[in-house]
Amino acid sequence: MATTKTLRVNGKAVTATVDDPATPLLYVLRNDAGLHGPRFGCGLGQCGSCTVHINGEPVRSCTRPLSSVGARDEIVTLEGLGTKEKPHKLQTAFIEEQAVQCGYCINGMIMQAAAFLKKNPKPSVPEIKTAMQNNLCRCGTHMRIVRAIKRASEA
Amino acid sequence: MNAMFEKTFPRRDFLKGAGALVVGFTLANSMRASDAAAMEIGPYGPPVDQVDSWLAIGEDGRATLFTGCCELGTGSSTGLMQIMAEELDVAFDRVRLVGPDTSRTPDQFVSSGSRTISAHSRPIRQAAAEARAALVELAAKRLGVPAEQLATANGVVSVKSDPAKKVTYAELVGGKQFSVKVTGKVKPKATNEYKIVGKSVRRVDIPEKVFGTFTYMQDVKVEGMLHGRIVRPPAHGASVVSIDESSVAHMPGLVKVVREHDLVGVVCKREEQAIAAAQALKITWSNWADLPDMKDLHSTLHNLPEYSEGYPKDAPGGVLTKSGDVDAGLTNAAKVVRATYLSPFNHHASIGPSCAVADVRADGTTLYCGTQTPYGTREAVAKFMGLPNERVRLIYTEASGCYGQNGADDVTIDAIVLSRAVGKPVRVQWSRADENGWEAYKAARISECVGGLDQNGKIVSWQARTFGSSGYSRPEYHEPKHGGEPGSLVTAQLAGWDKPGLEEGFSGAAGNFEPVYEDMPNKRVVFTYLGPTSHRQGPLRIRVGSMRGVGSPDNIFVAECFMDELAAAAGMDPIEFRLKHQPRPRGVAVLKAAAQLAKWETRPSHSKPSSGDIAYGRGVAMLGSNTDTNVAGIFEVAVNKKTGVVQVQRAVIAQDCGLVVNPDAVKNQIEGGIIQSISRALKEEVTFDRSRVTSLDWSTYPIITFNEIPDAIDIVLVDRSDLPPMRVGEPASESVWPGVANAVYDAIGVRLRQLPLTPARVLAGLAGNA
Repeated sequence: MATTKTLRVNGKAVTATVDDPATPLLYVLRNDAGLHGPRFGCGLGQCGSCTVHINGEPVRSCTRPLSSVGARDEIVTLEGLGTKEKPHKLQTAFIEEQAVQCGYCINGMIMQAAAFLKKNPKPSVPEIKTAMQNNLCRCGTHMRIVRAIKRASEA
Repeated sequence: MNAMFEKTFPRRDFLKGAGALVVGFTLANSMRASDAAAMEIGPYGPPVDQVDSWLAIGEDGRATLFTGCCELGTGSSTGLMQIMAEELDVAFDRVRLVGPDTSRTPDQFVSSGSRTISAHSRPIRQAAAEARAALVELAAKRLGVPAEQLATANGVVSVKSDPAKKVTYAELVGGKQFSVKVTGKVKPKATNEYKIVGKSVRRVDIPEKVFGTFTYMQDVKVEGMLHGRIVRPPAHGASVVSIDESSVAHMPGLVKVVREHDLVGVVCKREEQAIAAAQALKITWSNWADLPDMKDLHSTLHNLPEYSEGYPKDAPGGVLTKSGDVDAGLTNAAKVVRATYLSPFNHHASIGPSCAVADVRADGTTLYCGTQTPYGTREAVAKFMGLPNERVRLIYTEASGCYGQNGADDVTIDAIVLSRAVGKPVRVQWSRADENGWEAYKAARISECVGGLDQNGKIVSWQARTFGSSGYSRPEYHEPKHGGEPGSLVTAQLAGWDKPGLEEGFSGAAGNFEPVYEDMPNKRVVFTYLGPTSHRQGPLRIRVGSMRGVGSPDNIFVAECFMDELAAAAGMDPIEFRLKHQPRPRGVAVLKAAAQLAKWETRPSHSKPSSGDIAYGRGVAMLGSNTDTNVAGIFEVAVNKKTGVVQVQRAVIAQDCGLVVNPDAVKNQIEGGIIQSISRALKEEVTFDRSRVTSLDWSTYPIITFNEIPDAIDIVLVDRSDLPPMRVGEPASESVWPGVANAVYDAIGVRLRQLPLTPARVLAGLAGNA
């Protein structure tokens, strides 16, 4: 039975109609809200490239069923975190450090790090590594990502 | 959707009506006959009567580069733009780039092997130099001053003796159309004139990637697009017995179940509907279980029949090098060392699984994909569809980082089969398991070495033999041969295409197996070629293809580990031992530079046994040639003797890659290659049962995580700006496997010869069971 649901995404209302309430949030964000930030990597919650914030908490949207997201929940994606005109300090730091290669994982890296820095604004390098432990990068950009997060924390 | 607009906006319309100075490639193309490899231009670009171009300067003075090179997430397009801006003398931010599109950019072959800057930039540089010369000629007429008295800077031509007398490129172009033919006679700038090349210009793609506005292949949407998913056989050789379409008939959004031979898929209106339908579709497959037992993989490779027709003329029998008398050398040796090295299959493990969008219509097909071979894949796909090339337009769209041949080409066949069946554009997104299960893996290897030392610790015999499959299963050859064949794609094989794929022999996989040392009189180096192999064809039924260096990392692993074993047998310091056998001069330079930066302590390996749980060691490896990049890598490791865990604490890389176009982008590539190769050295191994590959997700194929990266990667780029730019991505990464294995030996005094160096293998080695 198709159900229609309205979500709050980056401060705007997004309405989607899905057949199955277990549909992962990721597909609604990408296909109904037309967002490019959250990315499909594994669909298993293992790699982190689909990370978004729900009420400030980092969430793997590829395994988060739509049914578990309420109309009042605030969903923020990479596009909502900051823009070219008003960048988040992590986005600025990633550019400063050139902490991107292919960039496919970078959505998850920035979203995970943004939630982490809210809880731990002045982390050590080992704390950063542990916080990012479950986000995978295949290009091997790790050194720069750590530097960018450290830089953002000092900004 | 600016990016999409940009991609679909026809080039001729882009230039139509506005003034522009266009540098055509028609003459450059005809130059190919005499200088094909140097110019790197293929024959499959747009027809010459449809005037196309390398670059265009608009009436606003902005320059656009049209390139057939694929940006694969390495920053190569920024480098190309630097080269063009430099040669044109326009500001970097006045340059833009349009990437591969078979209907509007030149054919620049395969974007692989870290060659975009080192090889493919050459015609672009030449075209830009010709454009600048043409603008100077126009200015000479306009200003009434001979061309040799004019200078160019920042998009302005001015009189050298009277700089106030000037005209801008924009003014010169005005509203008019100029067509410039590449003559090959204009001399590009001398290196010492460079202002933009050699600077760490920030990569142009990074802002969009951090703001979430970049359009990856996986983000492409076209009007009326449906979503497809494929259902692969549960065993590499299994075939469809029957499909129960009633199993999904009730599912919402289902448009069609599609089958062509053993290629099965579903098309639905929404993406999650396609995922659900693909999971629910009941298919009866034939049984198939003919893979070797995984524990017998290397003995299986050793026993496979040689594929003797795959050898090139200059290497009959797979003999890469033969000099002196290895047997006599061995007979007279004071010490003989023997070693067998094993390496596994690796996944490319791109974070984003492959994706393509196909729109098959009666009047032509449009294809969006993340290939490395736009023209070869276009031709392969056209053959698969029975169409002439010009009826298929392939628009390259950057996907997740690729590191070699992942599923980017294969998925195009899936998308075409599904789109053809429903008459609408279809996007096919592979799942993680589709990607890991059906991409082309880095080939597994077994290699055998025998070496002899004389009384003075000098190598008097070097014999190395490896047993390897093809390193190449792309639908396109490397240049100068060319063309595209669907038979190279496993999806075409599944769809019943029964003609063979391209077969380039072993040459792609045999690189860098010959020792880099000049003073080694008796040597015999052999690559025993096992032929191409795919899930559906060939002797092993596990598909292999190119991955970062192709066979070269395995070859260097063997050659540089064995060099280390001989150094240890000679009781010599590994660097002194290498120098004693005379690497070429650029090799000596990087080896010494790395040793200095690492503060290398001269002593034989292994180190003195430590009393604590952690053993520390350092190892070195080098590679290179006279005409290519030279690298020396030094790796410092800590080995936990209780858990068997190896941690690489520091990597030191000295690299001579000739002229460096963008130092920070080069360092980014080196760092990335080092970390990925550490991951592969310590953790990665494709697993399989008797029917199929079983490492289908990140828990069964773990890669390196943040807590496992080195504390530091220190890089020195040896200044050789007198030499042309050489490859920067792959070479440094290839020093990692032997460098780390040598460091582990130095730490624990046990030689481990099988990759990956897992805790279990380290513990077995420490227990005397290596």
